[in-house]
Amino acid sequence: MAPYANLPLSPAELSYLYSSLAQDPPIRPDGRSATQFRPLIAESNILPSANGSARICFIDGTEAVVGVKAEVEQTHENHLVAQNDTRDGERTGRPDPSSAGSWFEISIEIPGLRDDDALPVFLAAMLTEALLGDGELTLKLRINNRFHWRLYIDVLLLSQPLSYPLPLLSLTTHLSLLSTRLPALISEGDEDPLFSDDWEASTFLYTQPNSNAAGKLHQSKPPITLLVISAGENIIFDPSRDELAVAEAVVAISIRQNLLGHMEVVALRTIDAPSRLTASGVPRSLDATTGTNASVSNADAQALREEDEGQSVWRPPRGGINRAKLSQMMATATMENGIGQEVMGGLAGVQGS
Amino acid sequence: MQADRRRANAPAGGTAPPFFATIPRESLKRPTRTRKPDEHRKIFLRTGVVPSASGSAYYEVPPESDHTSDGLLIPSSSSLKITCTVHGPRPLPRNAQFSPNLLLTTNVKFAPFATRQRRGYVRDASERDLGVHLETALRGVVIADRWPKSACDVVITILEGEEDCFWGSAPQGSDASKGKAGGWGMMGVLAGCITVASAAIVDAGIDCVDLISGGVAAKTTSLGAATDGGALILLDPAPAEHDISAACVVGYLPSRDELTEIWMKGGVGGHSEALIDGAVRSATLASTVLAEAVKEAAQSRLGVSGGDDAANGALKGKDTAMTG
Amino acid sequence: MASNQPISLPGQHLGTTETSNVGAGTHIQSGHIYSSLAGALTSSTATTKSGNGKKPTTKQRPSVSVTRPSGAQLLPEVGTVVVGRITRTGPRQANLSILALGGNGEHVISPAASSSGGDGGGFPAIIRQQDIRATEIDKVKVGESFRVGDVVRAVVISLGDEKAYYCSTARNELGVVLAVSEWGNQMFPASWREFVDPATGLGESRKVAKPA
Repeated sequence: MAPYANLPLSPAELSYLYSSLAQDPPIRPDGRSATQFRPLIAESNILPSANGSARICFIDGTEAVVGVKAEVEQTHENHLVAQNDTRDGERTGRPDPSSAGSWFEISIEIPGLRDDDALPVFLAAMLTEALLGDGELTLKLRINNRFHWRLYIDVLLLSQPLSYPLPLLSLTTHLSLLSTRLPALISEGDEDPLFSDDWEASTFLYTQPNSNAAGKLHQSKPPITLLVISAGENIIFDPSRDELAVAEAVVAISIRQNLLGHMEVVALRTIDAPSRLTASGVPRSLDATTGTNASVSNADAQALREEDEGQSVWRPPRGGINRAKLSQMMATATMENGIGQEVMGGLAGVQGS
Repeated sequence: MQADRRRANAPAGGTAPPFFATIPRESLKRPTRTRKPDEHRKIFLRTGVVPSASGSAYYEVPPESDHTSDGLLIPSSSSLKITCTVHGPRPLPRNAQFSPNLLLTTNVKFAPFATRQRRGYVRDASERDLGVHLETALRGVVIADRWPKSACDVVITILEGEEDCFWGSAPQGSDASKGKAGGWGMMGVLAGCITVASAAIVDAGIDCVDLISGGVAAKTTSLGAATDGGALILLDPAPAEHDISAACVVGYLPSRDELTEIWMKGGVGGHSEALIDGAVRSATLASTVLAEAVKEAAQSRLGVSGGDDAANGALKGKDTAMTG
Repeated sequence: MASNQPISLPGQHLGTTETSNVGAGTHIQSGHIYSSLAGALTSSTATTKSGNGKKPTTKQRPSVSVTRPSGAQLLPEVGTVVVGRITRTGPRQANLSILALGGNGEHVISPAASSSGGDGGGFPAIIRQQDIRATEIDKVKVGESFRVGDVVRAVVISLGDEKAYYCSTARNELGVVLAVSEWGNQMFPASWREFVDPATGLGESRKVAKPA
């Protein structure tokens, strides 16, 4: 079981939390609004031996460091030729996004978990999927027809995962990719690549805001993954551990900024809600200690629990997420001047300093 | 990935496999989709196939057409064959803590011969990932608080997995040409896993809020008939037949109209709603087969003679063609 | 389809809470009753059970329930009569492994397929010294009531802790039903506290279940 799922909360506390989150507007334990992020401390370019790096520390004490390293690797023969054949030259030389998944590698290390545990595997798959998106990063990694960069993105969670670590890891990866620089290419064409050893001349993997100020197109940015939960009718972003414990559904939405400056969804996954593992409360009508109904048969007890329907005492949520609510989640995340742009803008500010 | 220490493995330095010359590309004909975009392939689903397990089911999606006439050794399109066994409810494992709910664990494994490139006995990252997806899908369906202090294992073996793309057009030596699933084929496999696990759990008699079924839809740019701004949403895509650019799998509860599992990836590009709708439609189609199979199994176990058609169906299982 | 018993599937709508009571194999979702099992649908006007309870409102409505085709329940609950085998005896308690539910072992628990089940797959349970018989509970000795390997009929009195269910044999019809003597022969019950080996004629003391 994931370490963040061990919750020292009683059914009464869960019920209290849930009903305050389900109010309109929701009342969160830390007083945030539904779309407000927790404050965080971020810095980038902290590791001199990596192509790009970042560190983010959340206010609850969880901290992650990401280092990005790049290596030159030979692109397999025929790889691009085959593409030319089948696509009538329409997408000439464009690498196939599905096979280019091996052009970068994400490894996640979480203290207390083994490498082959399900959680790091799942997190790495989620981050990879978001980065692959529509193959834009793959285009950036291409050097020429014969060579490409291979990126190693190593994510290190320094603290115990107190809440679901995905947003933290995603934001740190985003920041480190923004700061990633690759040496400038001197050679031309399909010859063996030769790079400038002047680090000042190196180019950013993701273009910087100042470098193409004249261009009408917005800069592209690596995607970020936001965690969204639903409680009652409400949609709540960036849940803390306690809020996750009462969530009816947990969805991870990866968004990116496209060239027109709009946010768009690139990947979506539901995450197992830890609330399903919580213990349910005992309705008052079943409580043996109050003496009202000391002995009821099992069938009657179950019927009473059912009829209570989680109204008076906590009961783990059942079922999934409504489709309308899912659409609402995606719309809120990608909204103009919404939370997605706010978070990305905030992280871009870190880059400038 | 560590080496498998429990079994006697083959020696490290084996003989080189025979290498066959590449066939000229002109002779390779890619399979084409003959069914409509909103049509599902036929599904065969049957429960109660493993007598020793509490619940079990077998799921198969045969290829749409036989391409054996090509005279090639490797079939150009793949099919999907999945078995699922459910063990439980049974006592918690000895080292586990007290749990007030049913502790559901999933175990998804490709058989070593399921894909063209052999899979090892140790579960790799993609199989673990599938297991997590399946667990997410099932947790929301099972009424876990009715089963205190017990565990339930859902074990899925994929006997034949779907390919990621057409092997003939895949670049030589790349992962895709070796038939190693990990991309789009996985999405179809997950949809099948959800449907078959649902049948097996109901067969085991574990309380569920609904009959969950899995569905997959893909966005492709290969077909000319542009309906949605150049992109076409296809239900139940066979990866060998299309150039898929994005896909979405859902675990759908038809009577509650809810989703317990969504997995969307690829260049969605603003079509996310259409993709989810497509996947839900595909899941609805699969759920008709699922409901029929579960109903037949329940009838035959109750000893109800439901006329000739039910008796035949119990013998032959379900083989239903569906259109949207 | 011509079937005398209607089949219901999980998620099938069975009515509202206004018109009927929720029974086994069903659940409520926002005021509506849905099935949660695939099985035979029964609707009964059972008023006796809840008639003397606190709520008079639950009286007159029919209660819908769905029974699974295998019929039996799958887990031991408080009050379930179970059949198990003694795995270990101590001065204070006897451990047993529940192998089947029901007084005659109607529902056999499927043996664990994977590695997690230790004692051949049964649910672990404990019979404490004071739960062995109903009278003179301070004089009872565990070693004179059970031996390892005996097959025991018992009733579940508590779901217990994370390890074991708590069982009791403090009723006439509960106790050892099958026992093997020290010489390895199948014994038959001679009295309420003795089994006899037919080959040697020697008796061994047990908490004997009243033969049905």
